[in-house]
Amino acid sequence: MNLAEGVQLVSFAILAVMMIGSALGVVLFSNIVYSAFLLAGVFVSISGIYLLLNADFVATAQILIYVGAVNVLILFAIMLVNKREDFKPLPNAWVRPTMTAIVSAGLFVLLSTMVLVTPWAYSTESVSSDTTIVLIGQHFFSDFLLPFELASVLLLMAMVGAIILARREFLPDQVITPDKQQQPVLTLPERPRELVGISSDKTSNLDDSRRSE
Amino acid sequence: MFVLSGYEYLLGFLLVCSLVPALALSASKLLRPSGGGPERRTTYESGVEPIGGAWIQFNIRYYMFALVFVIFDVETVFLYPWAVAFHRLGLLAFVEALIFIAILVVALVYAWRKGALEWS
Repeated sequence: MNLAEGVQLVSFAILAVMMIGSALGVVLFSNIVYSAFLLAGVFVSISGIYLLLNADFVATAQILIYVGAVNVLILFAIMLVNKREDFKPLPNAWVRPTMTAIVSAGLFVLLSTMVLVTPWAYSTESVSSDTTIVLIGQHFFSDFLLPFELASVLLLMAMVGAIILARREFLPDQVITPDKQQQPVLTLPERPRELVGISSDKTSNLDDSRRSE
Repeated sequence: MFVLSGYEYLLGFLLVCSLVPALALSASKLLRPSGGGPERRTTYESGVEPIGGAWIQFNIRYYMFALVFVIFDVETVFLYPWAVAFHRLGLLAFVEALIFIAILVVALVYAWRKGALEWS
């Protein structure tokens, strides 16, 4: 093993550990904001793996779009829905974990079949880094022209849908009933103990202790 | 074989990036006075007393700006290969890119007319 392969192997190991650790953190953290920031770590690690695969433009686009835009969008969505609402225990609490387990297991089976079935032969000739963008551009305007043009239509649809949703033109004005908001917090039957602890401790916030249950 | 050639500056940049927060935090730990009581642990809010928690519900306008930003960010990524390979692609690609931009200009005009770009 020469130096280049060693560097590549070590970089891949670091990136893989970073990615798996961040992904586990996304799932396991009870604080949803930590999960969102760790998702950015997952995206950055994926971008590093793209770099190791000589796909520099894809790596840059990954950082630019996923870390810079999509993850910010996710954070804004969290901030939008991050209201301190009073939760009630679900009547069928087992349904949601069961459904999640079934869907995740199905996805795992699907992906592992794909990993096993796909022939992973790759071309050993190296593509010099300044021509990959030119190659992508040439593919965009020859055999991938229709997806390229459809992407603009997709972006137009996304924009129109986002504006309609955000302006709430077709949503009722008052979604939350006022009596639910005026309900006093300390009389909640399900968690009086945590709320007393929060009122004495100012630094901890409600969502932290609520999700860590 | 891939030898990470041409990424020396990126590695140096990453090194400097990871050193900056460590140096800043350790330097401020060396310089700052110790002690201080409970007021020192409160959030610094430009010298004003912080009111309420930091976990509030944000205005939906931020979300709308972020969505518009995502869409034009993706557009930029799509247009960048076209701009780099412009000399090899010819007139037809120019016309096709103009169609691409025109469809997104429709989106921009829609956002503009609906007031998504205004704060107010």
